[in-house]
Amino acid sequence: MKSLKKEYPLHIMLIPGVIVTLIYAYGPMAGLVMAFQQFEPLSGFFKSDFVGLDNFRYVFNLPDFKQVLWNTLVIAIIKMVLSLLVPLILALLLNEITKKWFAGFIQSAIFLPFFLSWTVLGGVIIELFSLNGPINGLISSIGLEPIMFMLDNGWFRGIIIGSDVWKGMGYNMIIMLAAITGINATLYEAAEVDGAGKWKQMLNITLPGIAPIIILLSVLGLGGILNAGFEQILIMYNPTVYAGADIIDTFVYRLGMFSQQFGPAAAVGLFKSVISLFMVSTTYYAAYKFNNYRIF
Amino acid sequence: MNKIRPWKMILAVTMILSLLSACGSQGNGNANAPTTPKEDATNSATDNATPPDPLGKYAETVTVTEVLGYNPPEDPRTPSGITPEQNAYLKDLKEMMNIEVKYKWTVPSAQFEQKFSLAMASGDLPDVIEVDQKTYEKLKKQDMLADLTEAYDQYASPALKAYMDSDGGFAMKTFSADGKQLGIPAFEDPFLSTQLLWIRQDWLNNLGLQAPKTIDELEKVAQAFTNNDPDQNGKNDTYGIAMQKSLFFWGFDVRGFFNGFGAFPSVGDNQSAWIKGSDDKLLPGLIQPEVKTALGKLQQWYKDGIIDKEFALKDENKAVEDLTAGKVGISYGEWWYPNWPLNSSVDKDPKADWIAIQLPGIDGPAKSLVPKIRSNKIFVVNKKMKNPEAAIKMLNFYIEVGNKKYKDKNQAADGYVYNWFNPRIANPADIDTIYTEVNKALDANQTEITIDDANYKTVADTFKATKDFLAGDTTNASKGVNWGQYYSRAAKDGGWGLTRQIKENQQFVYNEFYGLPTATVVEKGGQLDKLMQESFTKIIMGGSIDDFDKFVDSWKALGGNQIIDEVNEWYSTEATK
Amino acid sequence: MLHKQSFSRKLFVVFNTLLLTFITILGIIPFVHLLSISLSSNTAAMAGEVKLWPVGFSWDAYVYLGEKVEFFRSLGVSVKRVVLGSIVNLLLVFITAFPLSKSNDQFKFRTLYVWIFAITMFFGGGLIPSYIIVKNTGLIDSIWALILPGALNVWNMVLMLNFFRSIPRELDEAATIDGAGHWRVLWQIYLPVSLPSIATIGLFTIVGHWNAWFDGILYLNSPEHYPLQTYLSTLIMSINAQMSSMSVEQLKVMENLSEKTIRTAQIFMGALPIMVVYPFLQRYFVKGMTVGSVKE
Repeated sequence: MKSLKKEYPLHIMLIPGVIVTLIYAYGPMAGLVMAFQQFEPLSGFFKSDFVGLDNFRYVFNLPDFKQVLWNTLVIAIIKMVLSLLVPLILALLLNEITKKWFAGFIQSAIFLPFFLSWTVLGGVIIELFSLNGPINGLISSIGLEPIMFMLDNGWFRGIIIGSDVWKGMGYNMIIMLAAITGINATLYEAAEVDGAGKWKQMLNITLPGIAPIIILLSVLGLGGILNAGFEQILIMYNPTVYAGADIIDTFVYRLGMFSQQFGPAAAVGLFKSVISLFMVSTTYYAAYKFNNYRIF
Repeated sequence: MNKIRPWKMILAVTMILSLLSACGSQGNGNANAPTTPKEDATNSATDNATPPDPLGKYAETVTVTEVLGYNPPEDPRTPSGITPEQNAYLKDLKEMMNIEVKYKWTVPSAQFEQKFSLAMASGDLPDVIEVDQKTYEKLKKQDMLADLTEAYDQYASPALKAYMDSDGGFAMKTFSADGKQLGIPAFEDPFLSTQLLWIRQDWLNNLGLQAPKTIDELEKVAQAFTNNDPDQNGKNDTYGIAMQKSLFFWGFDVRGFFNGFGAFPSVGDNQSAWIKGSDDKLLPGLIQPEVKTALGKLQQWYKDGIIDKEFALKDENKAVEDLTAGKVGISYGEWWYPNWPLNSSVDKDPKADWIAIQLPGIDGPAKSLVPKIRSNKIFVVNKKMKNPEAAIKMLNFYIEVGNKKYKDKNQAADGYVYNWFNPRIANPADIDTIYTEVNKALDANQTEITIDDANYKTVADTFKATKDFLAGDTTNASKGVNWGQYYSRAAKDGGWGLTRQIKENQQFVYNEFYGLPTATVVEKGGQLDKLMQESFTKIIMGGSIDDFDKFVDSWKALGGNQIIDEVNEWYSTEATK
Repeated sequence: MLHKQSFSRKLFVVFNTLLLTFITILGIIPFVHLLSISLSSNTAAMAGEVKLWPVGFSWDAYVYLGEKVEFFRSLGVSVKRVVLGSIVNLLLVFITAFPLSKSNDQFKFRTLYVWIFAITMFFGGGLIPSYIIVKNTGLIDSIWALILPGALNVWNMVLMLNFFRSIPRELDEAATIDGAGHWRVLWQIYLPVSLPSIATIGLFTIVGHWNAWFDGILYLNSPEHYPLQTYLSTLIMSINAQMSSMSVEQLKVMENLSEKTIRTAQIFMGALPIMVVYPFLQRYFVKGMTVGSVKE
């Protein structure tokens, strides 16, 4: 009872957040029933026919599904790893820049591509890597054969991953920079006195200092294990790279080509949700078990 | 044990909430349903007593709810910042007929489908609706459409009836069921889809070549365009034929090229076209042997550099860029190319001289594939609406205000935005009227056109542009824009002029299927389309030509055989022959 | 501070500066490209001839834009949305993250609440049920439809929670002994100390609200209520790819869409205000440097 009284302001603080979440996040979850229906907007959730697991069976049995799932995993996992590593390295490097205006300028510039949509960037990137583009210009100027990057499965995946990491790296970098600024400055002063070099300081102070944030970003990143970047791929891919770049989301998009298929789309959505919840909760408890750290 | 509790609670909360929200939505949907005001009932009663006047005024205001997917106003003189609610046509409609339009929502047309499915799911449909064929069928199946037979018979103006009869009533019949007229289709001349070949005459002249009549001649021309510096700028920076990653699309694609081989794979709707076989059965054009021959030729052209090495990467915008930039001198396409984007090509390089020719075939000019019907919008009325005839009257209104006396007054600068007004049906023979009227005036050396009916505006616009172009006058619009209007619509050897000849000379083949995508197409069509694109693109880029046979087998196995059955079932029961 | 720099350190500094400069240039290039197109003649832009410098220099697009009511109207809506939305979001994130940053023995129901929020990161019902909920809560066609449904961004809240945890516990323990309640600890101790993290999350919130466009299409019924990015999206979108033939009317739309310079000018101007926000917020990141020393 005593603890309850002490804790009650904490409950009050949570009320607005909980209300908004219950209404606008849990409310729509009723729509998950679509995954088990032959949903038709005109009939609504109540009059649409229930079809059990038919939607799941239909999607999972389509001939390309395995390939598409595999493509999604490969692209998403590499993207996931790189979009942690690259921003981390950038944040650490940026931390070593002593001129403040310069550091600020670089930060802004790295964050810039984040503001542009793939509709705009997609065209620029295709141009960059086309036969007449600057990259091939460079290649032929050193006497090599030009490469059709975007028409080759291997290169294409690389470009998709690279450009996505490039576009989004400012975001995680800023989080990491914010975490670095939160590290107690006296630690560095003490290390300086002890004669530790910058490299040692980075290893022994900075990295452990932002470890919680890195763990947090990794765990939450795992939630995106089936998100390989729908908009980007839809805009940049082409028939020659379907084999390696067709992902779950573009696959579902194509299912709706002739008539929007709400049921199967909802089934795939639910499947993705369950997988990411599984990934995140297992890593959440793993991080807690091994590191005694609750990320949230 | 501790860990399980939160889960249970979350589950319980979710379920309760789901139920609550679901009930809420249901309740609201019903509450919103009766939107038409009570007065309408009495109103229509009084109205019925008097003989129906197509343009008559209601005694009491009738409110019509609508939704609108809109494009930006076409005329640059339209006041900046105007909204669909402020459209001056609505004000005039109120004055003339005492009909008040209320928009439930308006949305850019690209997002219309999305937004409309939300409206359907929340049970919030307006009175008068513009739908596509798919939605029409859905609403019909749910019995949500008003029967317009009587309203049309009594209220349709002679002009509207003339439009609907212009194709012998074929389109009207398509959108009726059990003797009930369930929708009024806005349709266009199907021959607008006729494939032509656009080619640069100035490049031909530079190289001393003739316009090609056969594929072999086309090949020679294209090779010369690729290798012999047709623009004479001393650089090897041109190629033969425009192409893009979608082989069958609405433009800058190779539908016409395949037609040249007597192959009719698709009209560009992501599925096969259907041609009549010898035994009165429909055959899928996509898997016929002629397609293989055509692919073989494309493969060779790809190797020879006649088509862009990276065509598989480029969308229609890229193809347009190359056409504008003068990098390519041949493109397959329809009558409208001069209007856009060839006008930019002319503005960029005044020497550019594009001409249209009939598709080169294996031995002489070839037939183009043409759809049976071109109707992507149908106007329907919600069954709950009290005054279905108001929709017909609005159609009458729109045609009426197309007349000269209104058109001269209704300037875009005063907020008249015609393409925001719905329901709106244009003359199905619009383009042919323009062609004949403008040529009539030209031949008689008139300075003004004589027509003053609902076609006045479009004819006058084209006539003006034609006059300006022929006089070299660029005060109103650039040379390219004037030429584009003239050469697409009015020139005897231009886009529509040539299309007319093709129509008269029976140089076409019908795509016999005009029904909705069949059940198997809806389910498997996306997969089949991917299979086609992947196989065809790979063959063109140097794969084995025999992969085509593998493609045909897979296509059939993955649902094609069912589709053949379904389409023929449709043909024998539902097609209007 | 006057640490004698070793040779390897100098080498690193040079290399680091060069690398970051290169990445900076990569981030700026797309904007230079857009700016160049918007300042070129329309035929050159349509022919795809503009790279990183205007071809056939012309201000026309900007002159035209200066008179475009739609642009400024939606700009106004965007500003309103960003201000209102960011205030609501930040406030909710702030007061929600605080109780959840407590340890499980300080706040017994913490884990339950956390999972209530976390689940929403994985499961969603899709567009139709979300629309129905927003409609039934009476928000359709109001600016609150763009703010309330996402009022509590769980991802930002988890970030905030982790930033809160890096605040030394002694701080609020000392305050509690002085008799301060949870609310006072939140406002008087946590708020000033977490300015850098608030700036970071504020940046994400602002950018998120600025860039969001699809909710405008969904929840707003009239284009004059559209925020800027929703309005811009209607310009970029080419006509429906499903269509198999070009009708006379659609043809006119294509003609209009070919005003490439005007479109590009609007995209560029649409990204400009938000780019200015970043350097402004950066001051708070720098201030954060001193946070460690708050604890004397």
